[in-house]
Amino acid sequence: MTKATALVFGHNMYAHEIVTNVKDKYAQVKVFSLNEEEVQNSELELELFDLSDEWQEVEKYIDVENSMAFCVLEDIAENIFLTISLRANFPDLTIIALASNQESANKLKMAGASKVIPLVETTSDIITNMLEKPISNKVLHSILYEESDLKIAQIRIDKNSHFQDEQLASIDWTRYNGIIVLSVMHKDMKSEFIYSSKAKRHIIQEGDILVVVGYEADIAEFENKIGSKRYVNWSHWSW
Amino acid sequence: MLKRWILDFAYYLDTSKSYQKRKRFFYNILENDKNKYKKYIDIFMAILIFISVGVLIREVKHHVDDHLMFFSNYVISFIFLIEYLLRLWVNSSVSKIIVARAEYDTFLHREVNLYKAFKEVLRVKFAYMLSPMALIDLFAILPFYHELRLLRLFILFRVFKLFRYAKSFQTLASVLATKKFEFLTLGIFAAIVIFISSVLIYVMEGNNPDSPIDTLFEAIYWSIVTISTVGYGDMVPVTHEGRVVALLVITAGISVLAFTTSLFVSAFTEKLDEIREIKTIEDVSKLKKFYLICGYEDVAREVARKLSKSGHDIIIMDESIERIEKAKKDGFTALNYNPGRIESYEKLNIDIDKNVKAILCLRENDIDNVYAALTIRSISKDVFIFSLLMSDTNRKKLDFAGINTVVYPQELVGLITKELVGKPVAFEVIHELRSENADVKIDELGITQRIVDNFPTVGELGNKDFRVVLLGVYKESQDRFYFNPLDDTLLEVGDYLLVVGYQVFILEFEKYLHTKVKND
Repeated sequence: MTKATALVFGHNMYAHEIVTNVKDKYAQVKVFSLNEEEVQNSELELELFDLSDEWQEVEKYIDVENSMAFCVLEDIAENIFLTISLRANFPDLTIIALASNQESANKLKMAGASKVIPLVETTSDIITNMLEKPISNKVLHSILYEESDLKIAQIRIDKNSHFQDEQLASIDWTRYNGIIVLSVMHKDMKSEFIYSSKAKRHIIQEGDILVVVGYEADIAEFENKIGSKRYVNWSHWSW
Repeated sequence: MLKRWILDFAYYLDTSKSYQKRKRFFYNILENDKNKYKKYIDIFMAILIFISVGVLIREVKHHVDDHLMFFSNYVISFIFLIEYLLRLWVNSSVSKIIVARAEYDTFLHREVNLYKAFKEVLRVKFAYMLSPMALIDLFAILPFYHELRLLRLFILFRVFKLFRYAKSFQTLASVLATKKFEFLTLGIFAAIVIFISSVLIYVMEGNNPDSPIDTLFEAIYWSIVTISTVGYGDMVPVTHEGRVVALLVITAGISVLAFTTSLFVSAFTEKLDEIREIKTIEDVSKLKKFYLICGYEDVAREVARKLSKSGHDIIIMDESIERIEKAKKDGFTALNYNPGRIESYEKLNIDIDKNVKAILCLRENDIDNVYAALTIRSISKDVFIFSLLMSDTNRKKLDFAGINTVVYPQELVGLITKELVGKPVAFEVIHELRSENADVKIDELGITQRIVDNFPTVGELGNKDFRVVLLGVYKESQDRFYFNPLDDTLLEVGDYLLVVGYQVFILEFEKYLHTKVKND
């Protein structure tokens, strides 16, 4: 039987942080290490793998639709090789890879990673934002990482939603007190800012995703009013 | 009685704040290069010097206007005299010497010996008066007695005074001073060659009626002209013996010239880095507000690039010469100083609290960051210190070192993956807002009195007309963020509007807020 699994390749501080943050969202989290010694001595339950692995073992518990692989090997060449290897075997698997800089990030994207986190760029973005826009940084941080009651949610337009076939620009958002709609994402487009000219002309259809910010109660009320629910599906995420 | 009076007066001067303040003021404008008024004094003095030299040149063949003559001879000399006396005054403290002597004698239960104190005062003052620059200053005043023609030439000493006012001359002198020994050797060598060749040519040619070299002075003149490879040709040896001497002098002359040139070049090459460093420090002290980044590795490099792109001044400090070279190559002002040493900040000669916006300890090594942070905290209690944290076990140590904010990349990765797993689209939206290359941005607009006058409430802002989303208002007075505020929320000076929108529209909106004229 297949289950939603998080596969973490590499055993280091990043792997530990990832396991801590995703373990309650997946039925199981498997951490793989290249080092036999580590596998025997680690606190985490580790599995050994090597880059020439044929992946038959892994295939047994991978439900590609719902699983996610994290490639966090420290050696960038190995990380790229791992990403290519995973992509070659599992074309639909969501692969998130860690890159030390922009150059390796590009290579990882070419290797087929679904999402790359360029560590240096991300860290420096955070630092410069903290210095230049401290307030917005604090607010965004608290929204994103749910440190306050303020939340960000993505709501999928269902078949029965009132918004179906309405033009985005014609909707009076003031009727839905307490929430702010930031952007909309259609099946075949990237997320568009709510005031962009493309989004304005957009006619809402089933399957569109609205990104909204608000307090939990207000978001719940909004969901009820428009008859749609919060929704996550990686296959909807266009790159 | 007189002794008591002198001692009281010395103590009074030594402790008088207004006297010390005045003395410090004159010291700063005359001697302290970092004083902002000094350069005006320097320029003023340089102009006076050029006027005197101009008058001297004009006077050779023309009549100079009496007023100008008076100005050159008396007014300028008088100004120089005042300058000389002020320098003599600020150079050392008479009252301090007397007080020190009195304290010393009292401590040893002896009668205060003023004689020794005055002797020390005279010694110190004479030592100053006999220093080359003070002598030049003194000679520059002498043309005051312009009736003596020879003394008029002392005006040229005023040109030497330029050394005082032009920094590049001082740099040149300091560079050449490092090769003192070599120059001395060269001088002795040249002097010996000149001496021998002068005597030889005089002996060979002195008695020859066809030779233009008749006196020893002419022989020395010929030797120097030849050895310097100038060779005017107004005097040439006519005898065979004389010409042999000439061949020797010419050969020696080439080596003297080559030696001199190489000395100059090597002195400058060796000092080049130091000169550049001095220039960099000067540039730094001119900056009003800047970020100081300690350590230059990958994250630091990106942060520096981003901050500098948004128009901030950046100074990089790192103990590794390779990393500093890299920073310089990337176009940043970089100093090869150890951020963990107080001396490094002293050398920079800056007021950390006033000039530094924040100090970023961005070494990818917790030990170095803690060390640098502790050093900075020992100098300034208030400056904002920001640091990278590489291992969570060290977090407490960084807090303890007085670092205000830490960024822990591992934790960031954890949070990001959590968000990516749960809300990929929402994450991407927020991530885009923060990214430097995105079209849609989040921005903070400060509320000024003018904005409050024109738009007392949130409802009146009209942000929607500018296609700008108002995410909320941050009330500084309460340190609270009001998300999606109601239309009748009052705005106050010091609040910040958090807006999301296209960069151009945000700018338009901001312009509108600041320029709208109140409708009464």
